[in-house]
Amino acid sequence: MPDRPTALELLEAVTEFVSTEVLPAASDHRQRFRTLVALNALGIAYRELAGSHDLVLSDEEIGEMARRIRAGDVRDDDHARLKEHVAAKLRISNPAYLERYK
Amino acid sequence: MVAAAPWADELEERLGRRIDSMHLLPGGASKEAWAVESGGERLLVRRALGGVIHEATLSLEHEFQVLQAAVEAGVKVPQPVAYLGELGGREAFAMEFVEGETIGRRIVREPPPELETQLADELAKIHSIPAERLPFLRSADVVERFEHELDSVGEPHPALEYGLWWLREHRPPPLPDVVSHGDFRLGNVVVSQRGLESVLDWEFAHLSDPREDVAWPIVRAWRFGADDRRLGGIGEVGPYLERYEELTGRSISEAELDWWEVLGNVKWGTGCLTQCRRHLTGQDRSVEYAVLGRMAAEMEYELLDLIEHA
Repeated sequence: MPDRPTALELLEAVTEFVSTEVLPAASDHRQRFRTLVALNALGIAYRELAGSHDLVLSDEEIGEMARRIRAGDVRDDDHARLKEHVAAKLRISNPAYLERYK
Repeated sequence: MVAAAPWADELEERLGRRIDSMHLLPGGASKEAWAVESGGERLLVRRALGGVIHEATLSLEHEFQVLQAAVEAGVKVPQPVAYLGELGGREAFAMEFVEGETIGRRIVREPPPELETQLADELAKIHSIPAERLPFLRSADVVERFEHELDSVGEPHPALEYGLWWLREHRPPPLPDVVSHGDFRLGNVVVSQRGLESVLDWEFAHLSDPREDVAWPIVRAWRFGADDRRLGGIGEVGPYLERYEELTGRSISEAELDWWEVLGNVKWGTGCLTQCRRHLTGQDRSVEYAVLGRMAAEMEYELLDLIEHA
């Protein structure tokens, strides 16, 4: 284990710096927009590293399922498994998005 | 003159007029937009970036011709000023700068009254552009088109495959092709308090079933958070379809749009992935493109949800 700060603590530090110093100093809409996008990217990386995310499907299963469905071979439980898998991805990339379906 | 772009002198030469100032506008995922002040007039210069979102993207020369055809058909568009050839090695054209709001999130907060029917007005006029006027526009099978684009991403996406499979299984009988805008939605229209002022971003124009355009603004991503208003976060689909029928004679039911809404989610989900590749391949390094790779999951979830309730 390297010395502290940990990877998560470094991400936190950068996020704090960007939101308290870079964002308020953004001089125009374009810069402000891109800074918000950058903060979003930092948030995704943070959630991915911080949580233990069960993605439902392994990389092998993802590849196999994609090929099989393309070939027209769809199974009864594909839909439910995919929805769970995609929900797990969203809990990393945009947890608030899932709230829109409640 | 303010040398805001290294190709500003080329621009002055092509336009044949002096430029007082210019600045880059925010947004623009595949094209740059520059506001250019020249002799008290404000122009918008649209210039290519390194890549495209969808494979069938028009060149700026062709996009300029589509804009001219749209003017002839009475569509509210910025007046085309000049096709400029290459500026600093990339194609560009100049058009009128239209004042107003294009940010979807702001428009849905307080949409002007009658925006629903105004969208239908413009779409009906777009769909009346004679295809012979624009011989370079292509038609393609929509499902195959996105299968092919998804293949170009080089990463398996079983949820998008599931959407494509469902689309193949439930294909509606086709309507004859029309000239379609290809990206007709909030974000690509200029809106003021008076209502719809102008239709922008014609780079995806092609020939297609008219319902591809009709259904595109109802895709959840283009409701900008106002999910309960199915038409672009601004209103109901009913008045929009009624007005469209009144003007075109094409009767399209709201239920008929379901298939196209699933298609729209496959289309934008795939579009996110291809844009992200522009970053990953080094073609156009940008944090904006990078995060789009993670945004595709939103369209995957939506299409699975739509199919579940279809």
